[in-house]
Amino acid sequence: MDIENLPIRKINSLFSNKELKPSELYSKIFDNAANSEASLHAHLTLFEEENLKKAKESDSRYDNGTSKSLLDGIPIAIKDNINIKNYATTCSSKMLSNYTSPYDATVIKKLKESEALFTGKTNLDEFAMGSSTENSAFGLTKNPWDTDFVPGGSSGGSAASVGARSSVAALGSDTGGSIRQPASFCGLVGFKPTYGTVSRYGLIAFASSLDQIGPITKTVDDSRIIYSAISGEDPRDATSIVNNQVDIPSDKTAKIGVIKELMEDGISDEARNEVNKVIEILKSSGYQVKEISIPIIKLAISIYYLIAPAECSANLARFDGVRYGLRVDGKTSYEMMENTRAEGFGKEVKRRILLGTYALSAGYYDEYYGKALQARKEMIDEFTKAFKEVDYLISPTTPTQAFKAGEKTSNPLEMYMSDLCTIPANLAGLPAISVPTGITDDNLPLGVQVMSKALSDNSLLNFSEIIEKEIQFNHQPKGWM
Amino acid sequence: MNYFQAILRIKVSKDFDIKNIAKLASINLSEEEQEKLDKDLSIILEHVKALSDLKLNTEQNEIYIHPLEKELELQEDELVESLTHEEALSNAPDSKDGKFIVPPAME
Repeated sequence: MDIENLPIRKINSLFSNKELKPSELYSKIFDNAANSEASLHAHLTLFEEENLKKAKESDSRYDNGTSKSLLDGIPIAIKDNINIKNYATTCSSKMLSNYTSPYDATVIKKLKESEALFTGKTNLDEFAMGSSTENSAFGLTKNPWDTDFVPGGSSGGSAASVGARSSVAALGSDTGGSIRQPASFCGLVGFKPTYGTVSRYGLIAFASSLDQIGPITKTVDDSRIIYSAISGEDPRDATSIVNNQVDIPSDKTAKIGVIKELMEDGISDEARNEVNKVIEILKSSGYQVKEISIPIIKLAISIYYLIAPAECSANLARFDGVRYGLRVDGKTSYEMMENTRAEGFGKEVKRRILLGTYALSAGYYDEYYGKALQARKEMIDEFTKAFKEVDYLISPTTPTQAFKAGEKTSNPLEMYMSDLCTIPANLAGLPAISVPTGITDDNLPLGVQVMSKALSDNSLLNFSEIIEKEIQFNHQPKGWM
Repeated sequence: MNYFQAILRIKVSKDFDIKNIAKLASINLSEEEQEKLDKDLSIILEHVKALSDLKLNTEQNEIYIHPLEKELELQEDELVESLTHEEALSNAPDSKDGKFIVPPAME
């Protein structure tokens, strides 16, 4: 039995029936991680010793029948922009290479209460800015399906870790697709919850009105279990909300829309084929499927690349060499700040800070940022209208399959375009999930994205599970176990 | 040019000036970086200009703050667990007597 392929609920029942010990699973998973690390570089840090000790405590809880939750003893990898007390949190940036977290993020506090185990911190594009994990200051992560290809980003390390079975599941963060796109590129489920349902406290901020923490897992049910453990209102995050879920049907009475604008130009045949395959399956199961137009989606990249850099330039102003992180000396405080930021930030981060600074500067604010905020409201209105007609919206997760390392690094816009299908859910605050559906001619996995209205996360998970069961995606990358 | 001159300058200059923006963002850029970023930002700005042609149905001034239009709530003014003084200073590049140490503001 390949225990590292099992879903969480099954592992938990093996633990409960004393057929498997958490410490045995942890050792197996840790060996996988240690073996694949040189080829994939999914992790920036691996925590062996202290977590093996924790795993043994979990063994005793299952022995005594006092296990805490479904996640008790489950090894989970954490994206390195989420704080775990007393460990380094680098955001894959030189700026934070010597930073040790003095506190736990709320999601970490909740996972600790569930007695989940942590396998390590995973690599990302610096400060979560990128779509390939090539922007990490500590080297790139490779796709476990084919190491010539990128794992996606920015949560590329989290996706590669779960893909190579170096963790049972992982946490990522998603600002414009950073959970869903790498999940699609690595043959996994990636779930971005409704904005506000998971606390952002302890997630190092990139663009606060868009950032959301969520799971990368092998199955939809695993995402459901983790979401249920990490969600909830938090007084430390003023944008968090009480998770009052609304129920929408997921059975055959559900109405499905296919987003017209995400099946046209800029979408590859292979990505379109996956969507068409899912539509056919749904139709033959008796679902009503129709085309829905959301014209403003054509402007999603423009809106996003004003709002996200604007928020990033404000959030990253805190890295000034005074309170934490790198300091490069200068004769005056200003000079010290300028030198520190020049040395500490990589080129994509500088690009976005400068773009945001410009968009927010006097004289340009209305023309750029103000207009983008209005367009964002317009997008929300168009989605609201669409959800009066249908319950779920289907589209590709990504315009193409995974691309090769170095392929999109010369032109920033080309890289930005790879987030075309995922950005709208962040702008509108909607829940969205990528479910793996097929393998391309290049033997790379690809997923399909489903979105639903705000606070219908549980229904979205139920509906995605139906697609998952119908599709029976039973592939996994070879050579890592 | 210092930071404050840069703020004044952006108000009068209608051109996109990478040096000025870098000053506002407090990032010291090399000549080579300036050239590359100037090019990159021009490409991106050209693309986002598509927004200016957008005819909005939305009422003027109606902007997005939170997808669920969360109402702001007041919190009780009570003491909650937070970082200790030592923890808050634990990552500081330089500190003394419980304070952050920085170079002088002026030469």
